[in-house]
Amino acid sequence: MLVKIGDWLDERFSWREVWEAVFMRKVPHVNWFYTLGSATLFVAIMQGVTGILLTLYYVPTPDHAYDSVVYITTQLPFGWLIRGLHHWGASATVVLTVLHLLRVFYFGAYKYPREATWITGVILLLVVIGFGFTGYLLPWDQKSFWATTVGTQIAGLAPFVGDWILRIARGGRDISAVTLARFFGTHVWILPATLAALIGIHLYLVIRIGITAVPKKDE
Amino acid sequence: MDKSEDKQLGRRNFMKVAIAGIGGLIGAALGLPAIPYIMGPALQKESDDWIQLGSISKVELNIPTLFKKTIETQTGWINTEEEISAYVLTSNGQDYVVMSNVCTHLACRVRWIPEKDSFFCPCHNGVFAKDGTVVAGPPPRPLDRFESKVEDGVIFIKRG
Amino acid sequence: MNEQEKKKYLDEYKKEKEKGVPFFPDIIFKDTIAALLIFIILAALAYFVGAPLEARANPADTTYTPRPEWYFLFLFQALKYFPGKLEVIGAMVLPGLFILLLILLPFIDRSPKRHFLNRPFASISAFVVVAGILFLTIASVREAPPPQEAIVVDNAAALYAANCANCHGPGIDVPPGTDLHQIIAAGTHEGMPAWGGDLSTDEIDALAGFILSPKGSALFTQYCSVCHQQPVIASGNPVELQRVFDEGVNYPPHKDVQTANWNETVTEAEINGLLNFLAAPDGQRLFVINCSGCHGQGVGYNGTEEELTELIKKGGQHLDMPAWKGTLSEKDMDALSSYVVDPGQNPGGGTLFGQHCASCHGDKVPKAPDKQSALKIISSGGAHITMPVWGDILTAEQLDALVKYTFEASKGGGPAVGANLFAENCSDCHGKSGQGGPNPALSGDTIAPISSSEYLKTRNDATIRNIISFGQPDFGMSPFGAENGGPLDDDQLDAIVAFIRNWESNPPAEAPSASADVQVPTPTVAQPSLTGAQLFGIACASCHGSSGEGGVGPAFNIKEFQSGRDDQALFATISNGHTATPMVAWGDNLSFSQIELLVGFIRTLDPDYAASLIYSGRVSAIFEENCQACHNPQKIRGGWDSTSYQSSMTSGDNAPVIIPGNAADSLLAQSILGLGSQMPPIGSLSPSDIQVILDWIAAGAPEN
Repeated sequence: MLVKIGDWLDERFSWREVWEAVFMRKVPHVNWFYTLGSATLFVAIMQGVTGILLTLYYVPTPDHAYDSVVYITTQLPFGWLIRGLHHWGASATVVLTVLHLLRVFYFGAYKYPREATWITGVILLLVVIGFGFTGYLLPWDQKSFWATTVGTQIAGLAPFVGDWILRIARGGRDISAVTLARFFGTHVWILPATLAALIGIHLYLVIRIGITAVPKKDE
Repeated sequence: MDKSEDKQLGRRNFMKVAIAGIGGLIGAALGLPAIPYIMGPALQKESDDWIQLGSISKVELNIPTLFKKTIETQTGWINTEEEISAYVLTSNGQDYVVMSNVCTHLACRVRWIPEKDSFFCPCHNGVFAKDGTVVAGPPPRPLDRFESKVEDGVIFIKRG
Repeated sequence: MNEQEKKKYLDEYKKEKEKGVPFFPDIIFKDTIAALLIFIILAALAYFVGAPLEARANPADTTYTPRPEWYFLFLFQALKYFPGKLEVIGAMVLPGLFILLLILLPFIDRSPKRHFLNRPFASISAFVVVAGILFLTIASVREAPPPQEAIVVDNAAALYAANCANCHGPGIDVPPGTDLHQIIAAGTHEGMPAWGGDLSTDEIDALAGFILSPKGSALFTQYCSVCHQQPVIASGNPVELQRVFDEGVNYPPHKDVQTANWNETVTEAEINGLLNFLAAPDGQRLFVINCSGCHGQGVGYNGTEEELTELIKKGGQHLDMPAWKGTLSEKDMDALSSYVVDPGQNPGGGTLFGQHCASCHGDKVPKAPDKQSALKIISSGGAHITMPVWGDILTAEQLDALVKYTFEASKGGGPAVGANLFAENCSDCHGKSGQGGPNPALSGDTIAPISSSEYLKTRNDATIRNIISFGQPDFGMSPFGAENGGPLDDDQLDAIVAFIRNWESNPPAEAPSASADVQVPTPTVAQPSLTGAQLFGIACASCHGSSGEGGVGPAFNIKEFQSGRDDQALFATISNGHTATPMVAWGDNLSFSQIELLVGFIRTLDPDYAASLIYSGRVSAIFEENCQACHNPQKIRGGWDSTSYQSSMTSGDNAPVIIPGNAADSLLAQSILGLGSQMPPIGSLSPSDIQVILDWIAAGAPEN
């Protein structure tokens, strides 16, 4: 029965071809360092899942944000787990992305023919940092409020356009309801969309070109 | 050659099982808590505490008396105040009947008209007798009643 | 890389691939293991550390030291090395260049060498960058460690800082037993304002808690402030607070919340500190919250302070109730227990209750939650705890403060002083218990009761104080406040107000006659089937002797006892009991009229009672106090002059008013019993006075 359904779907989607191409392809022998990339993908997906679950209750306004976070953490069953995973997952994503970058660097994997993969990777790192920065404000506690105050202040240091950037980032002169709303929107719409697109390209390139073999030392 | 290929095959089969197993495990560890997390507020049972309505001393025999009580309820992280109002009726000073003042037709508030000895709903001219039974008009059923008790001269109700 | 090198690389890679393994399952297997490992670490962090959440964002807080998320710390630290105008280099230029460098890396490093040992420059530079970032991060953490205490906002501390620190410095050393709440609210110090106007009661409680237990305040902030707003639960009920720690996660309100098991995570000393913060060891406040529900504004107490400590510590016990098992049949006990659960549903038990229980319980049917427990109590009898065992509930500091306050308060002040002042200044017009009566200053006017709950509920202390101080000239009430030319100073006014307010929780023993639902006591007719003598036999004789000769309790048949207290004091003692002795608060079990009967009966135990039944004995005193204001030769209402024996016996429009030996037909007896026109009009005589007059007439109304 399952086979039949599989056949029927294959006639229409040719999924077996895709499966063969993506999963059954041969790759060089590699070591455990090569799991860093997929581990980063794993935490990214987990951040997506836990993040979506958090938005079921979170409200991005100054008068409700904190209370709703307290509600999630203390009242909802397993709310502590969802929020805990998302919180620590954020740090894990940054750590794993940087470690993955270092692996690629030390294995020379950014070189021909994988230059484009590297560049999308660097942009992905910036997106991850953007996630961290915007997500940090959302609980609307003292730490997040003041960290964002300082963080956006730094952006304001830029010559000529600094003040302008600052006002755009904060949606006004001060950190306010507007700031919270735009940080939230950025965190759950703009950045995820960018992330998804970039991961798509990144993975496509990885699959198309293949992962590097462990380089040998020249004598 | 054959042997090592067999071994290879066994190893790969083990890996497939392991991938499915671990994948399922992580999925479950994330997915199962998500269910109560999502359902949580829906499953929270309504508080069934007795609500103190007031002293029965102001209830006169055979005259429905309106009691109003503001209670605070918490929904999610927001506290809301809500006014409960109900008519209390006693025919013997012993047994008390507490009726909702919400018309069973379209939830307007009924009021007691002493001259007519009946409850009257201004929205669609529903009329209820003193004991809440429908006398005239569109209401489909008698006025709803609250579970109630009297302790130390104070009447309590439970929200149904 | 030239074309040749590229081709060479692709060929080599192709060979590697052919020697390699299939992506699925070999590679994915490793990835899955890594994913599992990461998931376990994250879940463990979520479980054991949790996601931190500090106090709600407060844009007005200027003391907060902002810190970015840890992965920005290196940047934050780097800025310190770029002071002033150079800051823009550290903040924007360097990071920007670094990112640009990363993006362009594949184009900058074009050599075909891949192994890191073959590219020493690149490897070492990357190492330096990573080491630098780590170094800066560590330096940042070390230079400005997260300020543990300061980060979480301690609301009580903030309140203190804003309102008190200016004059009092960082902390106040308060001697134990100080009524701090009152001092803060009223500002009784020299030059200290009354904060009661600016701060809410909750806030004052929180302040008192902070001053007496600053450590507790910090602990509260640490453990409880995520869920509880600070001032709101300050001055909570100690019984509940103690339960939170005793029951830990099983404490019902905490059941659905993720809380720590307080018993395991918090030390004994910390719990102590927390409790002291939440219910500050402030005697007056503790009394108000914990005791006044039953004891009103104060308790009369004559023992030593040590005994009081013991008493409060151990709680009170009800007198023993007999075990009815054996005395009553199974069927009767069954009927009784159904009756006490729900009298309305089981009226059959009422007769039994009347026969066996009413003598002690009066018409108050004790409440039982279910038949089983009712049956158990009835069959086994025994003592019931009536006062909580405060020794288990309060901390040592709280207990100490409560004892100090209660002890001091029992020595007078407040209501007790007010009672005397009221008797001296007010009772002539308002009656002994504020029951009112005809207005002596304004004929035809009646003074309404001021001890009724309507009166007290609708006027606050300030209003009552103003009325006393300024008087009510329209109604003939002169100003009593010293500032308005009256005799009373501020403290005295406050004492009277406290006494009047005291009626709210301790309604006057002699109910105002104006109140319709209390009947005028009729001492000669035993109201609920038992006479005063019978009641005395049931309730009092076991301790005070069957003819009041004394035993466990004091003797009544001696002069010292009888002359030492008036009827109201007797009534109060019977009704409220004595906390210092096994004397039960009979008010819980006996009705109002039953206690009146007891007071009347106890008066007849006076050894001089029979001897006092002469005109020149107690009778003339009663006349003088209650009748002569209207019945004197000048006013001579109703034609009756009560100033002498002769005139009392003979004068009157319907003379004789007194028929010796025949109380029932004497107009005077009928009037004081309220059978004809009520006399005195402002309120009934005390039951013992009525008894004296009746007995005197019955004894032939002798003069000497």
